[in-house]
Amino acid sequence: MDIAAQLPLLLGLAWLVPLASFVAILFFGPRMGPHGRNAAWVATAAIVTSLVLSLLAAGTWLGAHPVQAAHHGGSHGSDHSAEAAGPVAYAGDWYTLYQGGGLRLSIGWYIDALTVAMFVVVTFIATCIHVYASGYMHDELHDVTDHEVHLSGGGHLHRPGRFPRFFQALSLFCFSMLGIVIAGNLAMVFVFWELVGICSWFLIGFYYERTSASTAANKAFIVNRVGDFGMLIGLMALWGALGTLQFADSKAAGPDGAQVVRPGLFGLVRPAEGGHALQVPDGMVKFAAADLVATTPAAEVAAKIDDWRSMGLGRWLLFIAGVGIFCGCVGKSAQFPLFVWLPDAMEGPTPVSALVHSATMVAAGVYLVGRFYPVLTPDVLLVIAYVGAITLFIAATIALVANDIKRVLAYSTVSQLGYMMLALGVGGWAAGLFHLVTHAFFKSLLFLCSGSVIHACHTNDMRKMGGLARVMPWTAGTMLVGCLAIIGAGVPFVIGLSGYYSKDAILAQALSFSRANPAHSILFLAVAGGAFLTAFYMFRLWFMTFAGEPRDHHVADHAHESPGVMVAPLVVLAVLAVAAGWTLPGGFGLPNLLEQARPAGTAEGMTGGFVFGNLTFPAEHESHEGAIHVTATLTAFATALAGVVLAALMYLVRIISPAVVATIFRPVYSFLAGRWYFDELYHALFVLPALGIAELASGTDRGVIDRIIEGLAWTARQLAGIDAWIDRTIVDGLVNATANATWHAGLELKKLQTGHLRQYVMFIVVGTVALFVLASLLFRTSMAG
Amino acid sequence: MDAAASITQPALWPLTAIVFLPALVAAFLSLPIVPKAREEFIRWTTLFTTAVVFVLSLWMAWPQLFGAAGPAQFRLGDTGMQAVVKLPWIRAFGIEYLLGVDGISLPLVVLTTFLSMLAAAASWPITKHVKAYHVLFLLLETGMLGVFVSLDFFLFYVFWEVMLLPMYFLIGIWGGPRREYAAIKFFLYTLLGSVLMLLAILMLYFTSDLRQLSPEQLLASHVVSPALDAGAQADAVRAVRDAKAPVHTFNLLALAQIGQLPNSPFAATQIWGMSLEKWAFLLLLIGFVIKVPVVPVHTWLPDAHVEAPTPISMILAGVLLKLGGYGILRICYPICPGAGLDLAWLVCGLGVVSMVYGAFAALAQKDFKRMVAYSSVSHMGYVMLGLGVWSAVAGHDYRWDAWAQGVNGAMFQMLAHGISSAGMFFMVGVLYDRVHHRNLEEFGGIFNRMPVYSGLAIAVFFAGLGLPGLCGFIGEVLVTLSSWNYSRALAVVSAFTVILTAAYILWAIQRVYLGAEYKGPHGDHLTAITPRELAIATPLVFFAILFGVAPQILFNYVAPSVNRQVETLADWTRRVHDAKPASVAAIGEQGPGQDVAAR
Repeated sequence: MDIAAQLPLLLGLAWLVPLASFVAILFFGPRMGPHGRNAAWVATAAIVTSLVLSLLAAGTWLGAHPVQAAHHGGSHGSDHSAEAAGPVAYAGDWYTLYQGGGLRLSIGWYIDALTVAMFVVVTFIATCIHVYASGYMHDELHDVTDHEVHLSGGGHLHRPGRFPRFFQALSLFCFSMLGIVIAGNLAMVFVFWELVGICSWFLIGFYYERTSASTAANKAFIVNRVGDFGMLIGLMALWGALGTLQFADSKAAGPDGAQVVRPGLFGLVRPAEGGHALQVPDGMVKFAAADLVATTPAAEVAAKIDDWRSMGLGRWLLFIAGVGIFCGCVGKSAQFPLFVWLPDAMEGPTPVSALVHSATMVAAGVYLVGRFYPVLTPDVLLVIAYVGAITLFIAATIALVANDIKRVLAYSTVSQLGYMMLALGVGGWAAGLFHLVTHAFFKSLLFLCSGSVIHACHTNDMRKMGGLARVMPWTAGTMLVGCLAIIGAGVPFVIGLSGYYSKDAILAQALSFSRANPAHSILFLAVAGGAFLTAFYMFRLWFMTFAGEPRDHHVADHAHESPGVMVAPLVVLAVLAVAAGWTLPGGFGLPNLLEQARPAGTAEGMTGGFVFGNLTFPAEHESHEGAIHVTATLTAFATALAGVVLAALMYLVRIISPAVVATIFRPVYSFLAGRWYFDELYHALFVLPALGIAELASGTDRGVIDRIIEGLAWTARQLAGIDAWIDRTIVDGLVNATANATWHAGLELKKLQTGHLRQYVMFIVVGTVALFVLASLLFRTSMAG
Repeated sequence: MDAAASITQPALWPLTAIVFLPALVAAFLSLPIVPKAREEFIRWTTLFTTAVVFVLSLWMAWPQLFGAAGPAQFRLGDTGMQAVVKLPWIRAFGIEYLLGVDGISLPLVVLTTFLSMLAAAASWPITKHVKAYHVLFLLLETGMLGVFVSLDFFLFYVFWEVMLLPMYFLIGIWGGPRREYAAIKFFLYTLLGSVLMLLAILMLYFTSDLRQLSPEQLLASHVVSPALDAGAQADAVRAVRDAKAPVHTFNLLALAQIGQLPNSPFAATQIWGMSLEKWAFLLLLIGFVIKVPVVPVHTWLPDAHVEAPTPISMILAGVLLKLGGYGILRICYPICPGAGLDLAWLVCGLGVVSMVYGAFAALAQKDFKRMVAYSSVSHMGYVMLGLGVWSAVAGHDYRWDAWAQGVNGAMFQMLAHGISSAGMFFMVGVLYDRVHHRNLEEFGGIFNRMPVYSGLAIAVFFAGLGLPGLCGFIGEVLVTLSSWNYSRALAVVSAFTVILTAAYILWAIQRVYLGAEYKGPHGDHLTAITPRELAIATPLVFFAILFGVAPQILFNYVAPSVNRQVETLADWTRRVHDAKPASVAAIGEQGPGQDVAAR
């Protein structure tokens, strides 16, 4: 079997196995062993199968496309021809959702190195989390007393455990996420996008008896829908003008039965004949030039397209399409201004947080930006960069003061996602996606560690922790690895943890971009400042939790190391958090693997932009060289070190008192502790007006439209009443009057009955003459009429 | 009905049976020999009848299920009218017993028979005047089916009215506390629509002239039955074309042919400064949109739903609303294409206003059933939008496939909404039967009390939410995507609705099913779902998933007929409405060769 058939088969199966697990647990979950205990095995077996299949696919891929060292500097000119051919990708369709004329929506695949890498990462992390969860969710195997739910009659909720349901949702979640990764077109992305949303609804709202949990679930879904609103607009802009949502070119039977190549989005926006340079596709030009097209003879339209394009027609459409699709990513990847759902998503069980925050859901947005990268114009990229910068800064500042261990991690996730978006936005395609992968490892590690801590302490509040390193050495040690990885610790220019490589790449590209566009050098400052904040709040977390003396002996006395089934995934993930960024001698490593999938035409750098002025996106490989690399690495090292030192001064050796600092900066502190009041702001700006409009609409129905209808009905009844009155008084009156008149006439006429025959004859004669006159008059009138 | 007719018209008895069997059984049930007290017998007879009608409709729609296909059964992929039945009825006015189905009407017929069967099963809790209820119920089914298969405008109107009366009584007698108010409101609204429709029918009838049609058109529109032999056909054609006086017609297919003539008398005749075509379109549109319903003529719907008993709500939302959309698709556009093109903004605008307004109003409701009713207003707005964009991009380019996408999406949305809204109303009814209230604030914790029921209910509500993998998604996405080419503004507003939909449905689910404990009265009555209820809910959920995962099942039926009608009208636009052939150019890279002259 050739690779083009093998990859879709392997990855397709890897994608569908979790669905099978979902269906099986849905129907037979409660019967899987006592309390559905074996559901965990079914789900875990499914995800392990997916992992194995993904690894097989990766092996197949590497066999056919061995990873080689990237060509830097002067050598890049020589592989220009290979560059022009674009990345290796396999695409095709499994089946059709809708087809009408040339328009087609389908379920298909687009497989390149990025897809394969993401499959491995997602299934690997999901496997770790499944194993971990089978220990963590142990409580659900028997009846549960939920202490956070207070019943109206006093006391707490007592309910049966729902162990299988958790794994059922987890399986569906994995299926949905893998669906996004393998998707061959944007419509399919959107389908699984929504499914991921609803899975998160199930998982965040797992403890649905808690109002806070179900509200957080709703919030997550609805906020995501706000992003999807933008995404739909992007989809419409593409679909309306181009008539396709396929990524890659596809072959289809034309009208005459011959095979016709139908270009996909990538081919339309970056046509091969133009050296994969970005241009507004013909369809969009024509769409924008509709008025001109209408006045141009049909035969001349094709020839004028280039003129119209150079007039700038259609570029707004491409901009809207890019920003629209990015809006969806803003929702899913919790970027400013839609990041508010993510911290609330902590209401779900901790394994869910780990999954949602690392390799799935939030990764989907970054992944889609990476996947959709060829279509993004310079202006869109700048929007992405700024959204990322704002996000990383806001989230990092909130994380500084949070006391809930999971919330610190949640805001650190938001902040790190901001990093990735920023990286993608300044032209660092590989840097952003590289960080996505390394972050997936260390963030899932950090969350699972926090889960281990919560499992031991039964509280999320770091102020009650402290000194846990002694009782939980494994958790403390692996979490330290995670913290070091996220701050990008390493020996400059020698070796480091995974985060060291990916963060350096981001810093370098941001610096490179700032040098090329001095007006936007704030982006580099955001990255550098963010690195300092990250180091500070991560080590604040670690010191508060594990170092020093226990602050709450009640908590500390009960704390214990977690069981092996929970610790084992921590160790595995810790190893990867260290090593995932390494490039082996010979060039084998994640960055070079990702380079294989680099979208055609993005290696060269790009200039352009019409909304925000002319922008220059330096080629990514330039940031690996010389001065920029050195500056970036040293900056990263210095800021991270400064952050750790400050955290140590405040929380380890306690030379600086956090309480005093908080008092000195009281307004700032409460602003940050209030999370910049985004929730309150949105409530006032959007929720309340929406509810107000809703009441208005409902009130209009009852108060206006129904009043009008009832008024009409009332009028009709009044008219009927008048009619009845007319009937009674006038019509009936006339009849009665006639009757009366007849009666009286009869009485009068009686007097005529004199009995005189001569008189009678005279009456008859006069009457007949009168009738004749009347009849002739009437007849004439009717003839005339 | 002579023997010869049944030989040349193989669909005569099957189609007649589908339409009239319920009425026949209703007549039987109304006889004094059926004692009122034998309620179980009446219920089972009704259920059995609806089941037979369902199987019959399935026999027509899916011949493979019953072995080899007969001549009366539906041929998939055939775009024209099939199973046509034609018998003279009132000769003086050329009114005929003219029935037929195509890919547009047949799925709706099957939906009707299917939902009628489920609604009959859902009628068990009805204990008041059981006999009268079931008689009216069966009459209602005949009325609905008759509307979908009628190809004679007069017959269509008769069935339309036949449907109205049973509905009035079913709401007015078996409804809730404000049933009389709701029933009269329903009746007045619908009556207004009917009167306007009658006016339009008469206008079209007296303006129509069959002599303008070519022999081929007369045959294609079944004015002259293609079942006749060649000689008889020629005679019949000559009889029409050589007539001294105008030959008026109620034949919907012929009216469409006349309406699409270059010298259409409907377009040529002026009344008070507006073409008759436009008058007729507007009058018919008002009649149909009242049924759909669109804002601002929708306020009968929430009241009717809140008061109607559960099975009647299912029928009302599942089938009756579709009659409006069907009417617009089958009658308004083909007969009055010019007016449809000029007034596309009206149809699309009404659709989008309904979508947003209905969603906002749903958000504000405290009554569970009222919320679901408003969700219907919102969802049917998609249908209007999809139908409206049909006549969208005229002028300089002809993206017939973009129009077709909208109409296909609208048709799919009608069918999907038939499943999901009937399901939602049934789910509300299950709760109401137990605790006798519908106040959204007084539920909670149902999931833990009734897990199986709640699982099914949440699935149905998700279908309403438009979640991928369930039936609501496909129609909404197709319509929304197609609307961009018509109007960017409307497209954006329609996309905005997805946020509101998620908000009101998730909020309702949270208040009813989630939470720790039940907050309302009669908590001890919250018993698990009964087998009868399960038998009704399961098929609805099953089809909601099936059509969501494999929409092609429906598109195989719908798309050929819709595409043909759209192509015909696209052709009409090019030929008649828009005489600028030189400027015809295609946008985008697709479209069938014959339609895109620029290629």
